[in-house]
Amino acid sequence: MPDRFHILIAEDEVLAAMALEDFLSFKGFRVTVAANGVEALERYATERIHALVTDLRMPRMDGETLIREIRDRDATLPVVVMTGYLTEDSDLKQERWKPLEIFSKPVNPRTICNTLHRMLGIPLEA
Amino acid sequence: MAVGLEELLDTGGFVPHGVCLLWRPDILMLHVASDVLIGLSYFSIPVALIYFVMRRRDVAFGWMALLFALFIIACGTTHFLSVWTLWTPDYVLEGLVKLLTAFASLATAAALWWLMPRLLALPSPRELEASNRALELEVATRREMEARYSGFFNNLGEALFIVQVLPDGDFAYEAINPALARIGGLDPEQLRDRRVRDAVKPELADLVIPRYTACRDSGKTIDYEETLDMPAGQRVFHTMLVPVKDAAGRVVQILGSGRDVTERKRLQEEVIQTSKLATLGTLAAGMAHEMSQPLNVIRLWTENTLARLHDNLLEPARAEKALKLVIEQTERMGKLIDHVRMFGRRDGGGMRTFHPADCVQSAVELVRHQYRHEDIEIVEKGWAAQLAVSGRPLELEQVILNLFSNARDAIIALRAAGGAAGRIMVAVGDDPDGYSVVIQVTDDGGGIDPAVLPQIFDPFFTTKEVGKGSGLGLSIGYGIIDGMGGRIEARNVDLEGGGRGVRFTITLPSQPVSSVDREFSHA
Ligand SMILES: Nc1ncnc2c1ncn2[C@@H]1O[C@H](COP(=O)(O)OP(=O)(O)O)[C@@H](O)[C@H]1O
Ligand SMILES: [Mg+2]
Repeated sequence: MPDRFHILIAEDEVLAAMALEDFLSFKGFRVTVAANGVEALERYATERIHALVTDLRMPRMDGETLIREIRDRDATLPVVVMTGYLTEDSDLKQERWKPLEIFSKPVNPRTICNTLHRMLGIPLEA
Repeated sequence: MAVGLEELLDTGGFVPHGVCLLWRPDILMLHVASDVLIGLSYFSIPVALIYFVMRRRDVAFGWMALLFALFIIACGTTHFLSVWTLWTPDYVLEGLVKLLTAFASLATAAALWWLMPRLLALPSPRELEASNRALELEVATRREMEARYSGFFNNLGEALFIVQVLPDGDFAYEAINPALARIGGLDPEQLRDRRVRDAVKPELADLVIPRYTACRDSGKTIDYEETLDMPAGQRVFHTMLVPVKDAAGRVVQILGSGRDVTERKRLQEEVIQTSKLATLGTLAAGMAHEMSQPLNVIRLWTENTLARLHDNLLEPARAEKALKLVIEQTERMGKLIDHVRMFGRRDGGGMRTFHPADCVQSAVELVRHQYRHEDIEIVEKGWAAQLAVSGRPLELEQVILNLFSNARDAIIALRAAGGAAGRIMVAVGDDPDGYSVVIQVTDDGGGIDPAVLPQIFDPFFTTKEVGKGSGLGLSIGYGIIDGMGGRIEARNVDLEGGGRGVRFTITLPSQPVSSVDREFSHA
């Protein structure tokens, strides 16, 4: 059951974070929201997190720095990136950041949810 | 005692001079030979003199030579008569000839002394030679200079031309250099001394004559860029006209030079195009990001609502909240689109002259109330603005409103960080130079980090939270002020009360107000 899984959302757009939190909770995940990179890193340090869903542009530590910090601590944590930028030449496309998936905004929460299922090895619901 | 000529010439009673010499043949021979030789020589001298004067027509004081000749002939004659009187005692005749000689000598001597200063003033042959040499040198130098300048004129790649201003004010070509002949497909010989209107095609004449006229009438050097149709295609020239004046100050000649800047222009335009594309690129990237945020919120909330609807778990309150959020987000996107529209509108119509103080005033009126609620005071000072500017008043108002809202954001941010702030100072005034109007907006919101100061006018540069700032305000403002021919600058200032903040200074070039526009300026 996905409620065994704890998802950390890092997103400074409160309304987006709220909706995604609501959606993922509705789909059975436990969700924690952080408004920026620094806060997300704090939550990661104090709580057991199974996957990270993060924005890239955030005040007080952006998404890329956050991912770097987290990869230093955990090489296998599934990461889902949601970004409003054009991502063609992003460094994050490199193999070494995997497991990592990138989606551009506007994101489809069902896709995010399915991706989390796949990355965490949870069988998809019918 | 009247004596007749017969009587005078009567030799009766006299003895020949030879008697005095006792008819000694040796002495006679000596006298005869000497006198004849002297006489002959004397006679030959005037011939030589006259010959000289005749050949050298430019001899100064030629009459003096004639006088001299007369004097010498007279002298010579006296010598011949001396021989004659050895045998024939014609002493009266001899005396008369001597008298004549005396007059001639006297005249010559007097003339000589009278002429002396003038003769001394005549250049000596040596002096003449020296001055000749100097002249030759000068001629050589001038030739060399002329050669050099004509080399300049003939070999320079720049198009050069000399236009004569005719007494009737019209223009004629005096000369054009080979470069111009080549570029323009013109024949220098055919052009020479012909009126401009007759010498070149009417379209070309229509273009250049007003320029020549401007140079002629102003008497000043003018320079400008012109696009001319040449046989080699359309070329852009940077042309310079230099008036040449006569002693009375009338422009009699115009020296022209034209540099073909077609290539440079093309490169310049390319650079402008590239930077436009770059701006467009930044704009597109920024737009993509800014639009993706509200779209993302909308998508998440609608998906959310839909998922609950499918599972029959949608409560009306939740549905209402979601829909309201969606509406809010569309409004946010609408504002963004409005901002971007401002970019495109920048060079549309509707320019007119107006008083910038009116714009500042209405911007202040618009926000004063709202800001008072937030405990932000707008202080107006220095309304000494008489000059008018040209542009779109609403746009300028928008620029000022954006400065106010940035100031407000800074003040609120500083308060949130525990600082004290709450004043926006706005001033409008004519620059003392009389050519521009200056608008200053100063706040006490803590200032801008010097590291980001150079970027604040970039599109989409913002330090504000998502949803709060688009980063477009200052870049649009910059574009508007630039379009009005003015400039906008920002710098940090320390305020009197100890606070710190930013001062934005807008400088706009002043324009004469036309009577029509004046009526509108308070609209
Ligand atoms: N009065 C001010 N005080 C401090 N910072 C300012 C001020 N005005 C502008 N800035 C800085 O310049 C940036 C760009 O401003 P602007 O182009 O208006 O975009 P936005 O206000 O949407 O961020 C702001 O994010 C802010 O960092
Ligand atoms: Mg702004």
